[in-house]
Amino acid sequence: MIVLRQLLAAIAKETRLIVRDWHALAVLFVMPVAFVTIMSLALRDVFTERAGVTFSVLIVDQDGKLVGEKLRESFTKDKHFHVVLATAPLPDAAQVEAQLTAGLYKFALLIPAKATAQARRRALEQVRSDGRASGHTPSIGVRLLSDPTLRADHRSMLVAFTNGALRAIESRLIAERIAELARTPFGSSAVSAPALAAPELFREVIDELETSGTRKTPNPTSVQQNAPGWTLLAMFFLAIPLSVTLIKERAQGCLLRLQSMPVPTWVLFGGKIAPYLVINQLQLVLILAVGVWGLPLLGGDRLTLGSAPEAIALLSVSASLAAIGFALLIATFARTPEQATTFSATAIMVLAALGGIMVPKMVMPPAMQQLAELTPFSWGLEGFLDIFIRGGGVHEILSEAGRLAGFGVACFALAILRLNGRLRQN
Amino acid sequence: MAVAYERRAFLLSFPYRTLRILFLAPPVNAAPLIEITDLTKVYRGGQRPALDGLALAIRRGAFFGLLGPNGAGKSTLISILCGLLAPTRGAVRVLGTDVQADAARVKSAIGLVPQDLALYPTLTARENLAFFGRMQGLSGARLQERVAACLAIARLEDLADRRVDTFSGGLKRRLNLVIGLIHEPQLLILDEPTVGIDPQSRNFIHEALRTLHQAGMTILYTTHYMEEAENLCDDIAIIDHGKILAHGTVPELLRVHRAGTIVVQLDTDLPDAVAQQLRTLPQVRTGRFATRSFEIESDSPDAALVAVTEILRGACLPLVSLSLGAMNLEQVFLALTGTRLRD
Repeated sequence: MIVLRQLLAAIAKETRLIVRDWHALAVLFVMPVAFVTIMSLALRDVFTERAGVTFSVLIVDQDGKLVGEKLRESFTKDKHFHVVLATAPLPDAAQVEAQLTAGLYKFALLIPAKATAQARRRALEQVRSDGRASGHTPSIGVRLLSDPTLRADHRSMLVAFTNGALRAIESRLIAERIAELARTPFGSSAVSAPALAAPELFREVIDELETSGTRKTPNPTSVQQNAPGWTLLAMFFLAIPLSVTLIKERAQGCLLRLQSMPVPTWVLFGGKIAPYLVINQLQLVLILAVGVWGLPLLGGDRLTLGSAPEAIALLSVSASLAAIGFALLIATFARTPEQATTFSATAIMVLAALGGIMVPKMVMPPAMQQLAELTPFSWGLEGFLDIFIRGGGVHEILSEAGRLAGFGVACFALAILRLNGRLRQN
Repeated sequence: MAVAYERRAFLLSFPYRTLRILFLAPPVNAAPLIEITDLTKVYRGGQRPALDGLALAIRRGAFFGLLGPNGAGKSTLISILCGLLAPTRGAVRVLGTDVQADAARVKSAIGLVPQDLALYPTLTARENLAFFGRMQGLSGARLQERVAACLAIARLEDLADRRVDTFSGGLKRRLNLVIGLIHEPQLLILDEPTVGIDPQSRNFIHEALRTLHQAGMTILYTTHYMEEAENLCDDIAIIDHGKILAHGTVPELLRVHRAGTIVVQLDTDLPDAVAQQLRTLPQVRTGRFATRSFEIESDSPDAALVAVTEILRGACLPLVSLSLGAMNLEQVFLALTGTRLRD
């Protein structure tokens, strides 16, 4: 009973100390909200609808017939390309390269003159009723030029896309040729050319997530990606004021006085956990509220919270325990507020970077990705993404929540051992 | 005016009446309140022990002064007494309880007043007292009663609801003191409680401590101000290098230490010829001579005193003062601990 009263007194004291330093308290709420807002708006275009990047493509169509038309059609239909058609006088390859180097376009497609006629002629020579190819018409050289600063994976994607479009045209022309070969001596054809011109053996593979009505969860917009990450960062940044208050108590002699009283060390720490846990939850609520209602007003995407508020609460409390435990551990190791501040900030930034808050884990090398899995930021982020984007509930985030809470409890236990050990042995 | 005067008189008298009620003298008990035997503490990485086989007994009801230069081992001793630090060897019993075996019980009986102002600056005086009171296990009406009593002792009733960061150094010291009294401890430990405050506040604290002592409280007091210890303490130990160098009442210490020292101050300059005469006296072992004063050490101080006074009378040199043995505690302290500067 006495211990409970002591704990309540410690909580009340800590709450008063926090509330009376309202400037510091305000910073704890204003800074993360500002951060989430700025980052969500700044990165909005990176995560725009269908989550992709739009490439500007210059098409220099010197053919103007079937090959040119079909290639133009393919690129124009795809949402990842912004097609610009070169107008007469059409630029030559050197001029196009100069424009790419100048950064005017990311890619350029050069369709040579008479490409359609040449393709038909080649089909005539290559597809014969006796099965023997003849003639000397060369294959058509459609060229794809690219901005030298482009990433290899983007170039590779374009090459595959262009080859796909060319294969479709090739299939059509070969089908036309086969239809001609099948024509009867009486002028009618056993196989109609239009039927062969668009053979469809396989259904087109589609992005099922993006097909209307099949997606159950929201698109991964910038706010969906940013809000959980920066919320976690804000929660962990609580380590700075929390550790500083403990170090100040030590420097002022209050901790010594308290330890000269019949008060268990866990009560001293417990008094700090409750108010900072509440602050963490309020931070989360505020950031989520800004994501849901504030960002749309500023032109940003709306944050969608999924359908499991109980899972958000569980994950949030677990993340908070991890952050507070981490803060208490730092406070018991640091000797001065400066040490605590510098170390906390650096450690949090390193852990956040490693945990995928600043750089998505998927772009990290495999070894780094494995390392990232060991950080509380990664657990927290994955948990929030499970709820917000993958539509998960309590069951889906139990593992992450358990790891976060376990990390917090382990830090808390180490902090108690450290403080008691420091006192007893010095 | 008369009413105001009466109220003021009541407020001034209240703390002491309160104290007498709250701190009734315990029954006479021969057993010491603190018993320390063979206490040794070696810090990790320390080159020599902070406490080195220290033995000490402090009687119940004593106003005990613990004096020592920086690094002598005072803070280590206090930390072990309060259960904050584990000794390397030896035992400490407070009120018959082994500190290591039952630290919680000992802590309940001790009130510690640290040298630092161990207060929360953004809390009020009342909130500070209430918080530390609750941590000592007080609650309800009892807590309110104790908070009021402590505010009265520190004469902070009118400032009770002001934040501590608006207090002067003296007010903070007074609050720092009474927080140590919130749970009516049987033993009050004060670590240099008057550092850096004005003479009025120091005098106030001295008076409060005297009253507490008269009411029967055992006080362990560390200070660097020798006259404070001389005026307040009825039992003094001088500690250095982790050992007790001297222990006794002030008169005992003055009598025992520097017994062979004669210190003379003159009203005129000391002529060289007289100085030479004094230096060559057979009773004088060593002598230090200045323009208007001298100090000699003798193995037979009574005979030396007679010879010195005869020479000075013969030379018609008027005296300002003449003393045999230590004049004050500071001389004893310096004689025992040396004049070398400490870290």
